[in-house]
Parts: sequence; structure tokens; C-alpha cells
Amino acid sequence: MGRLSLGHGSGGRLTNDLIKEIASTFARGSGMLEFEDCALLPGGWGVTIDGFTVSPLSFPGGDIGKLAICGSVNDLAVRGVRPLWLAMSLLAEEGLDEEELFVYMRSAASVCAELGVQLVAGDTKVLPRGEADRLYITTCAMGKNEAISPWGIKEVSPGDAIIVSGPVGRHGAVIASLRYDIKLRELESDCAPLWPLIEPLTRLRGVHAARDCTRGGLGTVLCEWAEGANVGIEIDEEAIPADGDVSAVSDILGFDPLYLACEGTAVFAIASERAETVLETLCSHPIGRSAAVIGKATEAHPGLVGLRTAAGGMRVVDMQGGELLPRIC
Amino acid sequence: MCLAVPHRVVKIMDENRALVSTGGVELEVRTDLIEDLQVGDVVLVHAGFVIEKYNEDEGKELESLWEEVMQFASGR
Amino acid sequence: MPQVGDLRAKMSSLLEALDKWLCRPITVMEVCGTHTVSIFRSGIRTMLPEGVRLLSGPGCPVCVTDQAEVDAMVRLAKGPGVVLATYGDMVRVPGSCGSLAEARASGAEVAVVSSAIQALALAGSIQDKEIVFAGIGFETTAPATAVLLREARSKNVKNLSVLSLHKLVPPVLRLLASDPMLNIDGFLLPGHVSTIIGTAPYAFLAEEYGKACAVAGFEPLDIMAGIVEIARQICEGRPAVRRLYGRVVRHEGNVKAQELLEEVFRPASVRWRGIGLVEASGLVLANDYSDFDAYSRFGITLEEVSPPAGCRCGDVLAGRITPPECPLFGRSCTPQFPVGPCMVSSEGSCSAYYRYSSKGVSPWGA
Repeated sequence: MGRLSLGHGSGGRLTNDLIKEIASTFARGSGMLEFEDCALLPGGWGVTIDGFTVSPLSFPGGDIGKLAICGSVNDLAVRGVRPLWLAMSLLAEEGLDEEELFVYMRSAASVCAELGVQLVAGDTKVLPRGEADRLYITTCAMGKNEAISPWGIKEVSPGDAIIVSGPVGRHGAVIASLRYDIKLRELESDCAPLWPLIEPLTRLRGVHAARDCTRGGLGTVLCEWAEGANVGIEIDEEAIPADGDVSAVSDILGFDPLYLACEGTAVFAIASERAETVLETLCSHPIGRSAAVIGKATEAHPGLVGLRTAAGGMRVVDMQGGELLPRIC
Repeated sequence: MCLAVPHRVVKIMDENRALVSTGGVELEVRTDLIEDLQVGDVVLVHAGFVIEKYNEDEGKELESLWEEVMQFASGR
Repeated sequence: MPQVGDLRAKMSSLLEALDKWLCRPITVMEVCGTHTVSIFRSGIRTMLPEGVRLLSGPGCPVCVTDQAEVDAMVRLAKGPGVVLATYGDMVRVPGSCGSLAEARASGAEVAVVSSAIQALALAGSIQDKEIVFAGIGFETTAPATAVLLREARSKNVKNLSVLSLHKLVPPVLRLLASDPMLNIDGFLLPGHVSTIIGTAPYAFLAEEYGKACAVAGFEPLDIMAGIVEIARQICEGRPAVRRLYGRVVRHEGNVKAQELLEEVFRPASVRWRGIGLVEASGLVLANDYSDFDAYSRFGITLEEVSPPAGCRCGDVLAGRITPPECPLFGRSCTPQFPVGPCMVSSEGSCSAYYRYSSKGVSPWGA
């Protein structure tokens, strides 16, 4: 074992391996070993926890407060769990402006109000100047499972349609632009709560799995599905909803939009006969209006994700390798 | 070894900086390697520098290859 | 740009033409790492007929950076009062004692920049530290470093120096063209390097070595057109250097950039990882700029360092073996735990094979 690198926190293979190591340190029987976005507990409850360290704290389309709520409640939503309660921990750096803190708290509160989520527990610590990067927020969200059938990696089956709810990579592209001095005129993070989009799906049959494509992006989620469910996945580059500005930022920095984080975009595996219904349901919601079928799960090449390129060839989509760094080559 | 992207020049800021844009994305770039830049020029940007201007007229050799390929394809 | 629907149709037309002009099996080397990645990402390998063997060459500036140079960068970064600034491509390359990323995890200051000129801003904002900019890249990227140096000198910046790791493409092409073991029929030449140097420096490939050459851009259509052109030259027995990227490549190149390179740098014989010393193939700072040379400012000498045991990056870079033929590939050498730079560089051949063709055993070929 060496030292932790930034790659361990980037959401790709290194992160997954680290999580597995940590989980295996604990007693068996814990929900963590499912490696889903949230744990389903006896009695139909769901719980999840997530830490937020976004820099800068404020960005087009949101801020750390909004992100901290959306991130956790979305991890519940993608297993069909209605978010109900929230516990929140703040780690703030000495010197953080109080007014600024409350801007973020109001953003967070606004999302909670929109969803009917109650803040039931909280904790605040202030660290000496220099020991934290302004503000870190951790949220633990809990709720009630409303899906009429189980949603999870193991349910993904050959023949399932793969559906994406909107253009991928918007949040990652916005953060990268801020980091590397690229000015954006319109592009905003897709940061948004997914429960309103997903709730109608909890009453439908044929929903096998859903994930929000956070760190590591759509590409990483599909790899996790292919490996976790032992299916092949084939997607068509032409079919993936794309945002022109995300493509432009990606081209400049040498990124692949497939691996850029989303914070309000979900991917679904749906039984093929139900795909049309699910697609219509998603498209009828404002944040799902660009939803599209991008491919399917197959029996062929289990564990591998293949992409039919715009040029007409095929290539494999692997998991995001480590820290996403801009390149000139 | 050379990731470079086309952009349109939207503003000449001074003798060695310009603002370029591709769609809704704008970037400040250095123009030290290029002469006579005008607003509206389409340029190739690599690692924060304009390295060349696009010149559609110069695409002749590719064009002629295309013509032959297309003639062949349509003749089948 | 053509509509995507058109793109697939146009690619088909090019493939038909390729079929017509492929008179015999051919071996084409694509030299530029960005071509390597574009080819994999567009799936072109899965579309080419059997008779076209596509080799990746040493056009990945990170991959050909000698182990000793990586070690020098890492040592510098670990030094007190130094901030090492470089492009993201270099950060995860493993040296003998770890990579820049690992050095950073242990407290070294490593700044990732997306443009050389950002190093100047760093020097201005961190006055109490020495900023060392490690410049990697070929002729496309070296001019940016030259601008950085010229501006640093005109502003009399004291806390900035440059570690030049820049290399030149034509000298290594000569080495590859003259290697009897490689049997290269044609070269897909780097479109953006050519933007700077023009096409004259490649003339010897056709004139002296009879190689079919095409200077190509990076879109799938450009690349496929380049391969078609090479096949045709071979079929018709007329090797030449054909400029298919005229929209940004002038025959004379970018003269202003060339003049700047001549002012700030001078050529030197440098070591290319896995290939060895190549005459006049690197750029070192000219005498007028020697006070900005990090090698002399920090007293850096490059010792000869052997690459890690079993690492065959050199053979991969020279096109002698394909990545899956390296015994470490996909086993002890993976993108998460790379042994050599071909695996860690985003443009490295091994990295491309691993990521885009599932460790070289893609169900779709390639």
C-alpha cells in the first residue's frame, strides 16, 4: 500500500478498489458490500452518505450547498427511495465568511424544501486556517423505498435498453472550465434533484437499475454495470445526448465527456418492452426532455462496454483510470 | 502529440492576446505565433496559443483526393 | 463538419477506395500520439481491411521522455522552495522513485498548467519560490515555451526557469525509415507538428527512402483519407509527401514560430526512451537564454537509468512489437499501475490498446 493519490478520489477504478478494501475491513453483512449508490435496510428504508469538496464553492448552476443535498438525495432516488430526512456535517475553515456560509445553507435549504426533505441532525466544526479548503459538507440522506420491484446492478439483464436522461458531462465541464480559465457564456452545471424525474418510474414495471453519473461519468457507470451484472453493453455515440459547449471544453482540455461528472443526469437500464413508456415519462419532465435510448445490454462480451463511434467503427469503453488531467497531447 | 482545436476570433485584446470562441465557450489565447489576426478569423489553438489560421483555399490536395474517391464510389 | 450520417457514408466510400488501391499488404506507421488516440477513439482500426497493418510510432512526447529526465523532474519537484509546473500529461509518468503525482502526495509542489505562459503568472504570484516549467512536446508545443522564455527575459523574471524536454520529429523519422527490421511502407505524418515545420522536412522520406507519406489531420475522415492516399502511392509506385491537411498546414509551415524556435533553442542530441540517442533530435536553450536553463540553475545531470525490468516501451515506441506482445501488458502494467510511460500517457500506445480495445482483445478487432 502506498499513499493516497488524487486518483483515488476521482471516481474511477482506483476509487472502487479503495472502497472495496475499506468495506472488506468491516464485518460482513453490511449493506456496503452491494456497492450501490445507497444501502437498502430492513423495513424498506434507504440510506446513503456523501462528502462534498467542490472547488470553487460556487459555480454556474449551483453551489456547494445545492450540490451537497442533490448528491445525497439523488443516490437515494436512483434506487427508487423517496428522500425524507437529512443529517449534515460542516467542516469549515477559520475565516470563512459567515454570510457566504449562509448563501450555501439557503441553497441547500431550498432544495430540501422543494423535495419535502427535513434536516433532522447536524454538526459543525471549524478548523484552523489552512487545515481545510474553505468548506467541506457531508450529508447523510435517508428515505423510504417506493420502487415496486428491486432496482440494482444485479437486475441489469441482456436486452435491457440503456437510457440517459440528458446531455452528459455538464457539471464536470463547468468545474474544469473554472479551473482552467475557460469562459462559459451559457453552460451551467446540471446539478439538480432527480427525485421528481424518477418518482413516476417507481410505479412502473421493468425498471432494472438507475444511477446518477457523478464522478467518473456515464462511462464509469456503464463499466460498473457491465462488470457487476456480467453483461455486455453496446451504446451508439450518435445517440448519446450531447451539449455543444461540453464538447468544446472537452476538446480544449483533452477530456472525454463520457467521463465528466454529472450531478443531475441519470442513466437507466430498462426492460426492452417498457423502454418506450419510460422514455415518454422521462421526456415529459423538464430535466428529462433530452432523454434518449443510447444502447442496450447484451449477452455478447460480458463485462465489456462497446461504443459504436460516429465514424462507424467500434471501440471499448473502459472505466476512468485516475485523476482527470488536461492534456496538450 | 498535438491536441488543437479550431476557434473563431471574437476580440483582439492587445498585440499578443485575443479572445476566441467556439460556440458558447470562450478562451483567452496568446497570438505571439501569428501575424495579422482579424476578428472573425478561424484559428487553430494548441496549449493556449494560436498556431495557425484556417485557410479553406489551401485544402486542394484533400479535395482532389475526395473527388477521385467519390467518382470511384458513385461509379460502382 | 459533415453531419454524422454523412460521416459514416463518407467513411464507407473511403474504405471502398482503400480496397481498390490496396495492391498488397502494407505497413503504415502513424507517428503522432494524437493520431494514435484518434484512431482508437474513432474505431478506425476495426474498420480497416486485413491488409493494412497500422503501427504506432514514437510520437508520444511523454512516452519518449527518458527515465532519467522524469527522475530529474521528480527530484526538482521535491526540492524545497521549488514549484514544478508542467502539462497534465506528465503528472502520472512513473520515474525510478515515483511520479510527480506521488511526489505531490508526499508534499512536493506540482502545478498543472494547460498553457506554458501560465508558468509566468505563477512566478509572479509565488515570489518566494522558484518556478520550474518542464516543457514537453514536439515542434507544435515548443514555440509556446519559446514565448514564455522571451517574455520572462523581457520582464526580467528571476524566479522562473525552464527544463526543456522538447524533441523534434524528422530526426527520429529518419531512424525509423532506415530500420530494416521495421519494414514500414508509409507514414501518416503529424498534422499539427507540420503546421509549424511545413512539409519540406519530410521530403527525404519519399526521396531517399521511397516511403509513401501523407500529412493528415485528426478527424476520422482525415485519417482514413491519409491511409487511402498512402495505399494509392504504394500501389502506383509513386512515393511522395502529400499534404492533405492544407487547411492549416502550409508548405513552408509557420515561419514566425520557426524563427522563434531558432532564437530561443538550439538542437542537441538527446536520448529517446527505448530508442537511445538520436542526433540533433532535441531542443536545448540557446546561449542567450542559458540563464533560464533549469539544468544549469539547479546543477542537474542526467545519469543513465535503466528502465524497469521487463518494460518494453522502447520496442513499442519503435513499432517493433505491439502492446499486447509486451509480457507486462495488462498484467503488472495497467493504466492504474503503469510500469512504463506508454501505459500512463493518454497518448501512449499501450494505454490506447488497453482502454479502447480491452487490453488488445477487443471483440471487434484492433
